[in-house]
Amino acid sequence: MGLFQHKQHSDKKSPMVEVFEYEKNFFDEDFRVGIRDHARLYFEKVIQENVVVFKQDLDEASEAISADLKIRTAEQLDASIARLTIDLKEHITKQLDGQFAEFTKAAKEAQDVALGSLTTSAAALEEQHKQLGTTLQKSIANQSLMLENSFQENMKNMTSIKEANASALESLNRSVDELKNQNEQLTATLEKKIATQEESLMKAFEGNMAQVIEHYLLGALSEQYDLKAQLPAIIQQMEANKQALLDDMKL
Amino acid sequence: MSDTEVKTHENFVLPSRVVSHVDVSRLVTEIEWVDNAMTTAEVRIKAGGAETAIPALSDGLTEFLSQNQLTLADSGDRADLIKQLRLLKDKAPIIHMTFASPADHESLAQLTKWVRESLHPQALIVDGVQPALVAGVYVRTPNHVHDMSLRAVLAGQRGELVKELETLRASSN
Repeated sequence: MGLFQHKQHSDKKSPMVEVFEYEKNFFDEDFRVGIRDHARLYFEKVIQENVVVFKQDLDEASEAISADLKIRTAEQLDASIARLTIDLKEHITKQLDGQFAEFTKAAKEAQDVALGSLTTSAAALEEQHKQLGTTLQKSIANQSLMLENSFQENMKNMTSIKEANASALESLNRSVDELKNQNEQLTATLEKKIATQEESLMKAFEGNMAQVIEHYLLGALSEQYDLKAQLPAIIQQMEANKQALLDDMKL
Repeated sequence: MSDTEVKTHENFVLPSRVVSHVDVSRLVTEIEWVDNAMTTAEVRIKAGGAETAIPALSDGLTEFLSQNQLTLADSGDRADLIKQLRLLKDKAPIIHMTFASPADHESLAQLTKWVRESLHPQALIVDGVQPALVAGVYVRTPNHVHDMSLRAVLAGQRGELVKELETLRASSN
């Protein structure tokens, strides 16, 4: 063994040597290998148990650290947010105050300008109102004058129309009398003419009656004769006109 | 044609059934047809073909040939006859006769016979119909008109009719 490697050996075997040799003889190679394997297994078992324990300790420590870290981080974040909120509020308030001041100033200026403009417009409107009133009064006066003149003229016209109506009525009365006379004369003339026409129509009727009879005879007889029945009469007539026909054929 | 007398359009005797220039045209056409047929037959005979029969003639043409003592055997005679008939159609005097009713062949034949015996031997008649004539005939020669109808008679006696009506009216009043 290593513990005894620097021991000086003597020729006489010391008890230790003897023990060593005994031991050497007793603990042979197989026994050593067995012991070594046993020791290694035991060592591995111990290590395995320590690993499990160590792992549990490590997990617990990790969880504790994680929880602490969360708490710590949350605390720091809350503090940061609170600080930022305060800063932001102050900044926004400051900007809003500035803008409010500018808006107030601009509104005041615009109000002043509008007020000035309204004042000017009111004055102009008042002036126009006055002018319109004057013009309207003049126009009304003119219209009154024109209406009065027109009324006078219409009165004159009405008078003249009445006079014309009276004269027209008188003329109409005269015309009616004349028409009555003419009507009587026309009636007498018409009666005479009707009598004359009646006479002439009767004469014409007598003249036309001959044509009517002739037409009737033509219509009634035209289909009664055939040529064979007429042939002797035709030849007789042609014989009577033979000389005239002969002369014409010789030309 | 006969050798004794040379027939021309001036001395043709027209049968009573040949009335108008249409009938003369029909005669010309028929003779031309016969001439063509006979000439063709002669050529065939000369060429050694069989002899063909002479084509049948119409009654009008037969009567015309017999009354004028003509034959169609010679091609020269046929040509002369065609020429003379064409002259007859163009130069024959035409009488237009209008009747109140359509004229039948028999009556036309009688009238044609009278006209050719009394007026002109080659005279042709063109007939027409006019019912308004009532009866009688309306004759138109080349230069004159002869109204021999009943209508003309009535128109000529209209004055007498009016007089009779006036008399009747006076007696009734």
